[in-house]
Amino acid sequence: MSTEEDLLTMLRDRLPKDKVREVNITKWLNKFEIITDPENIRYVILALKGLGFNHLVAIETIDWLKKEPTFELIYYLASIERNGAMVLVRTKIPRDNPVIDSIHDILPFAYYQELENYEFFGITFRGHKGLKLWILEDNWDGPPPLRKDFDSVKYALEHYYKGLRYERGDSNE
Amino acid sequence: MVIKTFKVGLKYLLRRPYTRLVPDREGPLTSDRTRGRHVLDMSKCTGCSMCQKVCPADAIQMVKVEGPWPQNVKKIFPRIDYQRCTFCGMCVEACPFNALSMTNISGWYLITRDKKSTLYNPEKLSKVFETKEYRITMVKSLAEVQRLKKEGESNA
Amino acid sequence: MKEVIVMNEEIELFFGPQHPGAPGNVGFKLKLKGERVLDVELIPGFLHRGFEKMMENRWWEVNVVLSSRYCVEDPDNMELGYVLAVDDLYGVEVPEKANHVRTVVAEMSRIQSHLFWIMFMGAGLGARYIPSWAMAAREEILKWYDYLTGHRIYHHYMVPGGIRWNVPQDFNERTLHTLNTVSKIVRDIEEAFITNKIVRERTEGVGVVKGSIAVELGVSGPTLRAAGIPYDIRKADPYASYGKVSFEVPVGSRGDSYDRIKIRVKEIYESIKIIEQLLPKINYEDKAYRLQLPTIPPNGEGLGRVEAARGEHLVHVVNLRSRYPYRVRIRPPSMPLLTTVLKYIVSNEEVTIADFPVIVKSLDPCAPDIDR
Repeated sequence: MSTEEDLLTMLRDRLPKDKVREVNITKWLNKFEIITDPENIRYVILALKGLGFNHLVAIETIDWLKKEPTFELIYYLASIERNGAMVLVRTKIPRDNPVIDSIHDILPFAYYQELENYEFFGITFRGHKGLKLWILEDNWDGPPPLRKDFDSVKYALEHYYKGLRYERGDSNE
Repeated sequence: MVIKTFKVGLKYLLRRPYTRLVPDREGPLTSDRTRGRHVLDMSKCTGCSMCQKVCPADAIQMVKVEGPWPQNVKKIFPRIDYQRCTFCGMCVEACPFNALSMTNISGWYLITRDKKSTLYNPEKLSKVFETKEYRITMVKSLAEVQRLKKEGESNA
Repeated sequence: MKEVIVMNEEIELFFGPQHPGAPGNVGFKLKLKGERVLDVELIPGFLHRGFEKMMENRWWEVNVVLSSRYCVEDPDNMELGYVLAVDDLYGVEVPEKANHVRTVVAEMSRIQSHLFWIMFMGAGLGARYIPSWAMAAREEILKWYDYLTGHRIYHHYMVPGGIRWNVPQDFNERTLHTLNTVSKIVRDIEEAFITNKIVRERTEGVGVVKGSIAVELGVSGPTLRAAGIPYDIRKADPYASYGKVSFEVPVGSRGDSYDRIKIRVKEIYESIKIIEQLLPKINYEDKAYRLQLPTIPPNGEGLGRVEAARGEHLVHVVNLRSRYPYRVRIRPPSMPLLTTVLKYIVSNEEVTIADFPVIVKSLDPCAPDIDR
């Protein structure tokens, strides 16, 4: 347990107060959680990379439409030299103007994770040169499908089934 | 080295093949737990439609069957579409009255050329498969649910 | 090194999902100059089913059925990732017996996946006779799965709070019997195929990813370990019963395709070792194997991290007091393999079109989990 607390104090010391809002240990699975503002994201990721957290696992977006009109981005960074310790960098951006700086020049794998978040949530990454539909290429002309205000059933019925529902076998009823 | 490869290779050349003659020469592989076609006990089903709600593939629909069903006021029973069913067994697990169970009838017995015959009405579901002997492989009893619930409460 | 015929024209070639050298349902756009591959771009999306959206419309316990389906070859580690995340959300400790059995099932899935990959690799090299024995060994494991879980490919054996059914009384003997058969075949394959001169010449020095750059490419699993970095989540962040068993993490030195082949075969032996250690620990008298959890989990988030057969598998679940998940994020292991790693190899090395399938298959991607 002491190594975790050491790491927590280290993170608190090394990350400047004006760039980072909070550094905590999450109550689930003892991961470190850093809450920051979207304009400092590049600084925080660079600082964490300098501290050994250079393994980007994923970038996730949560659409908090039911609570507040924001998108929350979570960057999962792991450190291999620190025995797989994991840091979650969380930041919130407004829902009507979802723009954030790209980090793909710091960690190359971010290029593809950002692409995925772009096509499923419509988040624009400033500085990312190849934003386009990637997995959904040539198959999709609707709004970003994982947003909470997107009704997938309605869209599918309108665009793929010509307004008809799937009928099971004989439809006697 | 390469000669070693030939040596070991010759050993396997004489073995019996692993491939099987399906459908009807050898029959499907089954075990005591194989999840296959459902059997519905219409005298137990109360039409609570838990199986319909839990089904991840949306394969179950509740349909009306006329007849003397004292326990089933609405007279609705599950109808399973085997074009959609993934045999996950969630419906059997969810059934609170032990009316649905699964058998080891799987494989070529369910293969058909007529798409309409994959739709199993409650009457068809409640009948035992005609030609082949079958075993009930999955069933969930009420007693077990209660026991598990008690254990969960004491552990939590 | 190798002689590469270079023409001055650059051509674009679509290396598609139907090609026997392609690793499943993905395409590539290759930029070629003569025989040399200059650039590679992944074209995914042939098998996109929208699992993250589908999971938002199904109950917590029902999503187990979906969670195994985005990677055919390694279903149980995918299930375990989801189940661990939901356990974490509920904040429960599952019974010890369930943990042991979950670990056994997940390790069997790893063995099965690596065996499948031997066939896959053999197809990339044009060798099919010897690797087909691996499919026979896999068949034994599929029969074992049918015996334990009732299905051969997708098992749905793990549930939030434990395992779905108790293990049968003859579980120990049956598992050992299966492992014996498998390890015999694997030993023969190692003798006849892995040490074979032709295989070595074809794969040694091809597709090198080495050292700390591999970490930044986002890759984990056997590819990272072949690059010389002993990183394994089973050791670093033990889940299920991995903290209670001893096993080695095989590490490569050269980081080429041959190292990756060797490491996967060594991992099969390590997995067998793990299962053999866990079998005597399973208590057959113990009736507690599953907690009955309330249908609505508490508000909050949960995280599951699993070392799948191809690398790190991460599942993050968010609940807003509902029977349905608010958000499920799945990060399956294959995406960096076919994007950053492949780009890195192609830009650092003279890759010819003949070597390309060998490199792709030695990375062992599972194409469906890129699309999800």
